[in-house]
Amino acid sequence: MKLYCLSGHPTLPCNVLKFKSTTIMLDCGLDTTSVLNFLPLPLVHSPRLSKLPGWVSKDGSANLQKELKECAGRVFVDSQPEFCLPEYIHRELLDLSTIDVILISNYHCMMALPYITEHTGFTGTVYATEPTLTIGRLFMEELVNFMERVPKAQSATCWKNKEMQRMLPGPLKDVVDVWAWKRSYSIQEVNSALSKVQLVGYSQKVELFGAVQVSPLSSGYSLGSSNWIIQSHHEKVSYVSGSSLLTTHPQPMDQSSLKNSDVLILTGLTQMPTANPDGMLGEFCSNLAMTIRAGGNVLVPCYSSGVIYDLLECLYQFIDSANLGTTPFYFISPVANSSLEFSQIFAEWLCHNKQSKVYLPEPPFPHAELIQTNKLKHYPSIHGDFSSEFRQPCVVFTGHPSLRFGDVVHFMELWGKSSINTIIFTEPDFSYLDALAPYQPLAMKCVYCPIDTRLNFHQVSKLLKEVQPLHVVCPEQYTQPPLTQSHRSDLMLELQPPPMPYRRCSVLNLPHRRRYERVYILPELANSLVPSEIKPGVSLATVSAVLHSKDNKHTLQLVPKPPPVAPSKKRKRVLEEPPAVLAPKTLLSGAVPLEAFLATLQNHGFTEVKVEETADGHILHLQAEDTLIQLEEDGTHIVCDNNEPLRTTLRDLVLRFLQKL
Amino acid sequence: MDRECALLLPGVCAVLAGSGSSLPDDTSLEKLLDWFTGITEDGGSLLETCPCLLKLISTVVHNAASDPGVLSFTLRLTGLLAATEESFKTIQEHPVLNKVFNLQHWQEAGLWEDPCLRIGWIQGLRSMLQHPKALSFFVQSGFIDPLLQLQTDTSLFIAEAANQMLAHILLFFQPVPPAGCKGMDKKEKGDGMTPSSADYTAVVKSISGYLKESLVPKESKNVRQSLQTLKLLALLLAQAGPPLRDKLLQTVGDSLEELVTAGSSELTLPLMDVILSACSSGTDERITRLLSSMLNINKPADLIHAAAAFLRRGHHDTVHTARAVRILLLPLDIMTGQTLLGTISTADEHQFSVVEQLKSKSSCISMICVCLSNTPQITLTPPDVLPCLPVSIVTAVLSLLRICSGNSPSSSTGCSEVSRNVIGSSKVQKCALEALTTLTSSPGAKERISEVFTVLIQYLENPDSDPTVLHKSYQALLKWTSVCTDFSFITDQLRHDLVEVVKKRVCDMRWEVKDSTVEFLGHLAGVCDSIKAAAEERDASEALLGDCSTTPLLREALQDSESYVRASAISALAKTLTHRWQQGATLTEEEPEIVSRLLEILSQDSEGFPRRAVVQYFISWYSSHSPPSSSSSSSSSSSSSLLMQSVRSVLSQGRADLDWEVKVHTLVLAELLLDEAFSGHPGYKKGSDSHHASPHAYGVVSEQAYTLHTHTATHTEGAESDLAVVVEQGVVSVLLSGLVDCDRPVALKACRLLITLRETVCPLSLGALDASAAMATVSCELPGCGWGREILKILKMKKSDQAKEEDIADQSGLNGAEEGGDSVCVSVCEALRSLGLDERMEVLTQSSDHIHNSPLSLLQDILTASATHTKPGEEVIVDCY
Repeated sequence: MKLYCLSGHPTLPCNVLKFKSTTIMLDCGLDTTSVLNFLPLPLVHSPRLSKLPGWVSKDGSANLQKELKECAGRVFVDSQPEFCLPEYIHRELLDLSTIDVILISNYHCMMALPYITEHTGFTGTVYATEPTLTIGRLFMEELVNFMERVPKAQSATCWKNKEMQRMLPGPLKDVVDVWAWKRSYSIQEVNSALSKVQLVGYSQKVELFGAVQVSPLSSGYSLGSSNWIIQSHHEKVSYVSGSSLLTTHPQPMDQSSLKNSDVLILTGLTQMPTANPDGMLGEFCSNLAMTIRAGGNVLVPCYSSGVIYDLLECLYQFIDSANLGTTPFYFISPVANSSLEFSQIFAEWLCHNKQSKVYLPEPPFPHAELIQTNKLKHYPSIHGDFSSEFRQPCVVFTGHPSLRFGDVVHFMELWGKSSINTIIFTEPDFSYLDALAPYQPLAMKCVYCPIDTRLNFHQVSKLLKEVQPLHVVCPEQYTQPPLTQSHRSDLMLELQPPPMPYRRCSVLNLPHRRRYERVYILPELANSLVPSEIKPGVSLATVSAVLHSKDNKHTLQLVPKPPPVAPSKKRKRVLEEPPAVLAPKTLLSGAVPLEAFLATLQNHGFTEVKVEETADGHILHLQAEDTLIQLEEDGTHIVCDNNEPLRTTLRDLVLRFLQKL
Repeated sequence: MDRECALLLPGVCAVLAGSGSSLPDDTSLEKLLDWFTGITEDGGSLLETCPCLLKLISTVVHNAASDPGVLSFTLRLTGLLAATEESFKTIQEHPVLNKVFNLQHWQEAGLWEDPCLRIGWIQGLRSMLQHPKALSFFVQSGFIDPLLQLQTDTSLFIAEAANQMLAHILLFFQPVPPAGCKGMDKKEKGDGMTPSSADYTAVVKSISGYLKESLVPKESKNVRQSLQTLKLLALLLAQAGPPLRDKLLQTVGDSLEELVTAGSSELTLPLMDVILSACSSGTDERITRLLSSMLNINKPADLIHAAAAFLRRGHHDTVHTARAVRILLLPLDIMTGQTLLGTISTADEHQFSVVEQLKSKSSCISMICVCLSNTPQITLTPPDVLPCLPVSIVTAVLSLLRICSGNSPSSSTGCSEVSRNVIGSSKVQKCALEALTTLTSSPGAKERISEVFTVLIQYLENPDSDPTVLHKSYQALLKWTSVCTDFSFITDQLRHDLVEVVKKRVCDMRWEVKDSTVEFLGHLAGVCDSIKAAAEERDASEALLGDCSTTPLLREALQDSESYVRASAISALAKTLTHRWQQGATLTEEEPEIVSRLLEILSQDSEGFPRRAVVQYFISWYSSHSPPSSSSSSSSSSSSSLLMQSVRSVLSQGRADLDWEVKVHTLVLAELLLDEAFSGHPGYKKGSDSHHASPHAYGVVSEQAYTLHTHTATHTEGAESDLAVVVEQGVVSVLLSGLVDCDRPVALKACRLLITLRETVCPLSLGALDASAAMATVSCELPGCGWGREILKILKMKKSDQAKEEDIADQSGLNGAEEGGDSVCVSVCEALRSLGLDERMEVLTQSSDHIHNSPLSLLQDILTASATHTKPGEEVIVDCY
């Protein structure tokens, strides 16, 4: 069993598991933090961004004025943003065309799918739940839309030159594998990639070539999010990714099915172990109210699904108590409408109390009511209807949380200069300081309330204590306290035995050895067996059969009888019978008890016996006959020179003590 | 005992003797007993006045089918009857006494199993054991052993009563009462009351023997017995005189030593109690040694509790105090890495075991909390006892607070394995904040004030802080502000942070947080005012919050959806503005807006708290404003006119409120107006009511005796115009409507004020004609419905009484009252005189259940209940008072 680790990002994993004869990819997250090195893509012409000075090295030797721009002391690439893909192109770690299946755990962890299914010769199947596919598609469409509606003519590549890169200032200088960065995929690629997805439901068992069975379990993190169980008859591997124990909108996490795993691969813990989601939600609301009361606007850069549902639900309860009833809330995204509507129809994927609402004449999420009462309005973009209905002060939810593309760029330019406005970061994926870097100097107030509902270290320790896997594999980041808080020994995994850490490009030999394989036996053959009891409760029988293997299924079948001799009119040679199947030799079992054996020898006239103890047993020297009998745990040897009768006698004596099957 | 009761009692006794099942409710026997106890305590002899009781006792005791409740009552009654030596002798002449307390009898009857009977037995004996004869009886009957057995009864109440009883016997009959013996009423114990020393010696011998035996648990299951015994011993040692104390210590000394050595965790605290009780009543080498061993036991958790118990007792003994202090500071030292104990830590092994203990989360939290709650006291111990400066303890608490919030810098040298146990624990946070609040009084603490503020602001800022933690942080901040004299340490950054966090917290999702923030703003204004008054320093509020005015925040909070927050905002606004009002400052733009919002709340809010707060707002405004006459500036008069205008609306709305507290507050406001109108008047008695002392008028009957003013001085000058002003302001309407209010506290308060008013403007001592001549011109209007009608009814009734007496058949109208449409005008003076205020006052001062609470009523209830019981089918309605 081997694990290939293609991503170093603990919450955007991409691992490949080779298990029995299958090759399974577990998630294919796309690390989008690389976009932070690029300039934002404004929706309308931004004089500020277009006037940024080009970058020239101090000694003037490197001139990349066209590709790199300087803003507030940092250098940004002026080109269409690019993403850092999972590791597969330059290192010959693994041939991705050999991947049999890809298992997706949630819609955040599938964003690299088109790169893999469309460019590596992949011919397998992708498994995901319905909401994961639907919302994943929305995310991909949104990403493509963000990129394609503001096309950049040029594509910067010179800066990637090794010699050039070495002269760049940090952090550009230190980024690795820039050549592997890729621009966004196209909508065709998205469609093609998603056509390879096969839908599964929680606890549904999918057979892979008869070798293993995979099955998704609810992970409680987002709509349709799953952990996976990969098991054969004798081995069980659990893949835990992005799980949550908080009661938000999704179905609660299924923990009990993870029990008795041989190996548990643990990824997607909270990125904000010190920020408790409840506290952050409170912080979010109070900062929002504070800004609105002071007459300012609030900008919330966020993804178009997930935490936003919880934010809206929380605000639904909060706005009345905080007297914000008249403040408009806007949700702007190319997929805003679909996201809000889809969330209401995935009844079977929701938590219990939302599910029960489906049977009442009210929608499970209160955002429907916010829309009905005109408190929440959603638009595909800032162009069109929005511009005519836009009222301030207001609250705007829009993407992308990296602040590099999407409608959020426009609002940053619009509101950034006034200190009465506030930007509240709720997504934990990007460092807010880096996200804000190309907008500096910024007067707007910034509040960082990352809401990450994924498991924290406390919860995961408790979980592991309950499910008790034999081995745990996790990203190396989880095995030490965070760099900035080295004294917080409570923010790491402490297990016995210690977890096996992995990093990008690791190949782990999972410590679990396969020892058994299930073989079926046909009833007829089973009938013919004659078990003999070798110790109480344990019976053995010998079997002669033909082992038939197909689709990783092994069956013992009767030895085919020779075709009956065709009755011929003429007598043929009598001897032409098929060679009789040799009766199998009887098998011996048991051990020769030394004392009793010596007594027997004595009875049979072997009197001069010298016993020597060896590492494995005993050597009996029959001095008169000059013969040795070696009694060992797994064999008995009789060494005598050319005295066949003696050997036979001795052999028979030995056999008296052994059981025959 | 009055005659009526005496007449009913035999009947009641018959009922009780018959069967107890017909009692109206299960408290009647208790009430009956209370009544008897009261009579006995007043010196009455029940035996003489109610011979039927003795009969009752003998009947009940001989009736095997008696109800256990009645039996228990009988036992206690017997004890009560035999409480004096004389009556004891009388009872002893009857054969009943032996029977009543005869254990064997009860056991054979199978009634001893009932806990009711056992407790009756103990309490009966306890009442009786007030004289030597009783003790002799007790000893001769051999009751001491059964009593000792009851000490470990399965019922906790019985076990406790037995313990008390044992202590009572030993302490009450001590041969020489020590001078400072507390708790025991010795007045009845005259000469000749000394028990025969043989009896007492016997008792002491058996009890102390028992103590010695039962102190050390033989098996683990006997721990409860040891616990009980230790409790008893602590009771005894705290009050015993020297001979008894020495005797006891001599007997149990070895057992105590054995217990200390055994070191059972369960027994640590009770054992410590015993040792400390022994210490407090005298010094003894052996006890000192025991104390030393207690402060050296091996189990860290027990040790900490023992040390804390020692410090709490305030026992001053340098060696042991120093030891206790070290024990209590050690966990803090380990956790924070602050060297509180210096480097000469001798007990390394002990430290090791403490660290081990602290590694477990639950014991770590409990130990640290004990340490923290003792830190304030530790800092106050003499410097030669302290291993470090008091200020280092403040530093340690601060650094613990940082660790708790996860903000501790990594350079801190505390044990990380231990400190992770307290990260995020709100229990420890609360404990530490409480300690920090109290530490303001520690010597040198002020040096750390800047650090304190930083940490507290961090706590307020922390999104994960529990609402109660935030509340405690605010309290700590206020306390530290109040002791602060110099605000120069507050940097702009600190100020900015505080302002931001307060602004954020008034928008919090949790109403508790909003409420404590708003409250904090109010208190801060109060604290700042008091600082300003003390020293003409820089404005503390300004120092803390800069130029951020808190009024807009509070005004916003007036709109809050939670009534508590609205109420707190209103009182905070009052506190914030008090200073301006006192100075007679000009009206700000926002004040009229605030006032109109407040009046809106008073008339529309569905919750009582905000409405009460509104009336109190105007009370504090009215009482702190400077009267317009003294200040001539026009700005101040505009403020005054706004005040007077709104006070009028408050009076008329508050009067009609549904909440009785609002109405009482409205009356307080009315009183302030009366005070102002008549303060210069010779007959006016200001503060006729004790409203300052008790904000909760309900159930509190003022003890202040009401005295009629008997002055006859001329009073007419000016009073007339003042009265007219008061009427015009609506004060008289408030008082009159209050008088007929169905809530007693309201009516009581109104009645008092009306009497004061009457005594001022038209005292009864003056002839009727005299008064009416002077004041007849001032009249007030009564509405034709509601309270107005009520008042009119009273007036008419009085009038007709008068008419009958004077035999004048003119009942068509009211003299001095003119009917005009729906409303009616009455002369104020006339009304004041004819409302019968003094009679009304008398009725109102009695508590509402005075009729139903009387012994007579109780006896009647019992009789009625039994009557209906014998005639089934009729339901009895029992008074539930």
